[in-house]
Amino acid sequence: MKWLLDSIANVGALAAFFGDVIGTALTRPRYVGETIRIMWVLVVRCIVPVGLAVAPVGAVISLQGLELFRMFGLDRLLSSLLGTAIFREYSPALASVMVAAQAGSSIAARIGTMRVRGQIDALAVMSVDPMRYVVVPGVIACAVVTPLLNVLTNVLGVASGWVFAVPLGGVDHGAFIEHLTAQITPADLWVGLGKCVLFGTSVGLIAGHLGMRVKGGAEAVGQAANDTVTQTIVLILLVDYVVSMALLGAGL
Amino acid sequence: MIGVAAEFLLFAERALRAQLGRFPPIDVLVRQTYQAGVGSVALLTMLIVFAGLNLSVQSYATFERFGGQDFLGMFAGIGGVRELYPVMAAVVCGARIGANLAASLANMKISEQVEALEVMSVDPMRRLVAPRLWAVTFALPLLCGYADVVGIASSYVGAVYQLGLDGGTFMSQLHEFVGLSDLAVGLFKGLVFGWIVALIACFHGYRAAKRDGAEGVGVATNRAIVHGAVVCIVLNLAMSWVLYG
Repeated sequence: MKWLLDSIANVGALAAFFGDVIGTALTRPRYVGETIRIMWVLVVRCIVPVGLAVAPVGAVISLQGLELFRMFGLDRLLSSLLGTAIFREYSPALASVMVAAQAGSSIAARIGTMRVRGQIDALAVMSVDPMRYVVVPGVIACAVVTPLLNVLTNVLGVASGWVFAVPLGGVDHGAFIEHLTAQITPADLWVGLGKCVLFGTSVGLIAGHLGMRVKGGAEAVGQAANDTVTQTIVLILLVDYVVSMALLGAGL
Repeated sequence: MIGVAAEFLLFAERALRAQLGRFPPIDVLVRQTYQAGVGSVALLTMLIVFAGLNLSVQSYATFERFGGQDFLGMFAGIGGVRELYPVMAAVVCGARIGANLAASLANMKISEQVEALEVMSVDPMRRLVAPRLWAVTFALPLLCGYADVVGIASSYVGAVYQLGLDGGTFMSQLHEFVGLSDLAVGLFKGLVFGWIVALIACFHGYRAAKRDGAEGVGVATNRAIVHGAVVCIVLNLAMSWVLYG
C-alpha cells in the first residue's frame, strides 16, 4: 500500500516538475550555448554504444525472420518486416534505452553531484535559476539528440539486416531493396522520430527530476543515476506500447 | 582501449579460476542469488508485460500488410522465446543487478575494504567476486524462464483481447512451432548473459581506485550498465548466428 502511494506521489511530483520545465523553457533568458555544449557531449558519449546496440538487432531480425519466411516461401518479403520493425519499433526504443543508460544516468549524476556540493544553491544565490541553467538544457539536449541518433541507427539496423539477408542469407538484392522501398512510407520514419523525441524528453526529465531530488552524499548520487535508468526503461516501454496501440487504432 | 580489454581478459581469467576453484559457501550464495533474482522480479514483470503486448501489436501491424496475421502466435512465440526475452532480461537485469554489483564493489574498493581483505590473506576474488558470479549465473536463466511465461501470456492477451484474433489459432501456432529446443536456447542465452553481465560489473567495480572517490562509483556503475547491455546484444547475435545461421 505504501509502495502504491509512494509511486503515485512520485508520478505527481514528476508531472509538476514537467510543468515547471516547460514553463521555464518557454520564457527568457535561454542558455543556448550551454544547451549546445551538452548536446555535443551527449552525441560524443552516446554514438558508439547506441550504434553497437542497435546494429545487431537488424541482423537478428533477418536471421530469424528469414527462417520463418522460408517456411512459406516468402523470403522476398523479409525486408518489409525488417524495415518496419527497425524504423518503427526497435531503433527508436533501443536507441532511447541506450541514451537513458549512457546520457540519462550521467546527467542525473552530474546534477546530483552539484546538489550534494551545494553548487545548485550557489547558483540560486547568484540569482541564476538552476532549473533554467542546469535542468532545461539537459532536457532539450536529450530531446534533440535522441532523434538524431535514431537516424543513424535506422541506417545501421537496415544495413546489418541487409548483410544477413543478401550476402549471407541468399535473398535477391533487387527484391530486398524493392520491398524495402515499397513498404517503408515516410509515415514510418516520422513515427520513429516522433517516438524518439518523446523518449528523449522523458530521459531528460527523469534524469533532471531525480538529480534535483538528491539528498545526502555519494551513495544518493549513485542511486539517482541508477534509478534514472530503470525508471526510464519502464517509461519507454509503456509509452511505446501506448503509441503502438494508438497508431494501430488510427490506422497508420 | 586495448589496455582495458587486456585488463578485462586478465580479470576474467582470475575470476574464472576463483569461480571454479572452490564452490562458495551456500549461505552467501543463497543471499546473493536472492538479492539478484527476487529483487529484479517486479521490474522485469512490468517490462516484459509491455514488451509482450507490444510484440503482438507491432507484428500485427506488419503482418497485416500482407495478410499474415494468423502467424502472429508463431512469430510472437519464436521471436520472444529465442531472442527478445533473454536479451530484455539481460539488459534490464544488467541495469539493476550489474549496477548494484559494480556500485557495491567500487564502494568497497574506494573505502579500501578490498585491500583490508588482502591484508588478512583472504582472496577477494574468491570471497567477493566468485559468489556474485555464481549467483547471477544462477539467477538469470530463472528470470529468463519467468520472462518467457509472462511474455507469452501477455502476447496472447494482446492478440486475443485487443486485436481480436482467434485464441485457438494462436495456441496451436505456439504448440506447433515453439519447441523445447527454443526454450533451451533461450535459457542457455540467459546463463551466458548472466555470467558476462556479472563479470563486466565486477570488473568495473573492481577497477575503481581510491583516488577516484565518489565519482569513481558513478563511473563504474554507468560503464557496467552500458558495456553489459552492448556486450549482451552483440553476443546474442553471435549465438543466434551460430545456432540458426
